[in-house]
Amino acid sequence: MDGMAGGGGEGGPARGRPGDAAHASDALGGAARPGHQLATWVALGAALVGVLLLASVRSAHGPQTHPDYPSRNLPPEPQALLLPPSPADDEYFPCSDCHEGEPTNRTVRELEDDHEDLEIAHGEIWCLDCHAAEQRDLLHLANEATVEFADSWRLCTQCHGSKLADWRAGVHGKRTGHWWGPKQYQTCVSCHDPHSPRFQPLEPEPPPRRPEAITQAAQARQETAREGP
Amino acid sequence: MKDRERGETRPVRGASRREFLKTAAVGVGALAGVPGAARAFDLEAFFQKHLRELSNQDIEGVLRRLEDKYSRQYGKPVRVAATGPLDGVVYGYGLDIGRCIGCRRCVYACVEENNQSRDPEIHWIRVLEFEREQAIRSIDLEKGNPYYDHEKVPAEGMFYLPVQCQQCDDSPCTNVCPTGATWMDPDGIVVIDYDWCIGCRYCMASCPYGARHFNWSEPRIPTDELNPDTHLLGNRPRPKGVVEKCTFCIQRVRQGRYPACVEACPVGARKFGNLLDPSSEIRYLLAKKRTFVLKAELATRPKFFYFYG
Repeated sequence: MDGMAGGGGEGGPARGRPGDAAHASDALGGAARPGHQLATWVALGAALVGVLLLASVRSAHGPQTHPDYPSRNLPPEPQALLLPPSPADDEYFPCSDCHEGEPTNRTVRELEDDHEDLEIAHGEIWCLDCHAAEQRDLLHLANEATVEFADSWRLCTQCHGSKLADWRAGVHGKRTGHWWGPKQYQTCVSCHDPHSPRFQPLEPEPPPRRPEAITQAAQARQETAREGP
Repeated sequence: MKDRERGETRPVRGASRREFLKTAAVGVGALAGVPGAARAFDLEAFFQKHLRELSNQDIEGVLRRLEDKYSRQYGKPVRVAATGPLDGVVYGYGLDIGRCIGCRRCVYACVEENNQSRDPEIHWIRVLEFEREQAIRSIDLEKGNPYYDHEKVPAEGMFYLPVQCQQCDDSPCTNVCPTGATWMDPDGIVVIDYDWCIGCRYCMASCPYGARHFNWSEPRIPTDELNPDTHLLGNRPRPKGVVEKCTFCIQRVRQGRYPACVEACPVGARKFGNLLDPSSEIRYLLAKKRTFVLKAELATRPKFFYFYG
């Protein structure tokens, strides 16, 4: 999309040029005009040839289809992306169960009671920077607008804008389903704990067997076969 | 497809010789008079032509014969498809090396999806571990360690690089194959016809990425773990003595699905799409990210791109 917008922009200066040339020839007076007109035509012709050349080079370097291809008739992509609901924390959600009717204490403080285990490793943030104080089951954006927990990605991407662009394009984050067809997007909180967003280390699957081990196993098999009947 | 259609109409040269051999073999079989041996030695399979010379009807026959064989062997219905390439599609793969944590989820998802032998063990994906300090200067694939065994990954100061078939556009492996058993389909997937592979392993010697693997003995897959959705040129059970490798999950991607490794990756480092579609994920990352291919100096033109997200 960005590339197309850039292409459209090029039209602007190109359209402006003939007008500029006419203005210049007016200023030079009648005597200079025939020669100047010729120069304009030559310049226009050269530009046309240039554009044609560029177009041919582009098509030569563009995506080439295999000669075996009869046509490029993929069916239209059947379905837009689906966002799975964000995994709300059943242990705490809905927040209003406890916080409803509680007076809001806005001071930044050490967390206690049910939230004392909560590790916050996400820069200098405080609960009410994201959680709506007056409507506890919602989040809020920087402009005070509230968002559902399921739409928390709108909140995250206020700061992480470059990640939003990549995520929309399917390059940041994970997609499952079809490369051509319905696909599921994971949202930010599917992989990142919003309170401590760094991806946690995982236990790896077992390493491959070394070739030596395979040879040894084969030798052992041979030996048992020899010892046997 | 063209080749297959041609196969239907082309006058079969050398048919008389083939017919002679067939008759001779039948004669020998009859003389030997061993019905058991005749069953083990599948005449039809022995005289099967190259896949690209077979008519669609012949291919149907091959598929049904294989389905019957595998279903009996594994005691459950196994489907073998020969889905052809989609028009206007050339597949490309992107791997975000800034994100890979070396957890090997992809390796085992691939093994399960593609029916690799469990014993002896075959892995189509190898995750190489490098010291970050060293990898920053240059990546020497020979120095990568696939056998790392940490409690948790990523390990401190380490860097991970998964390597599988790079689906080269100018693939050395297909150039050296003496029987034409491996080739690139129009959608860019380098495939192997296991019926024509003679196990010479020239392709393995020619592959600069170590992406091809040989079945040194009869592959073993537990019946309950066999994936019954298979493709003739992909994840169908292989015999002993043939070479195999990653096919971008041909049985999935030709139905529009993501490869198994893409779906298994817990960090979303693996990207897949159509190189000819300007709005695809793969084209976005090629346009916007710093990308590289492995051993670019060999001009094999991989369609597997590594990038920094």
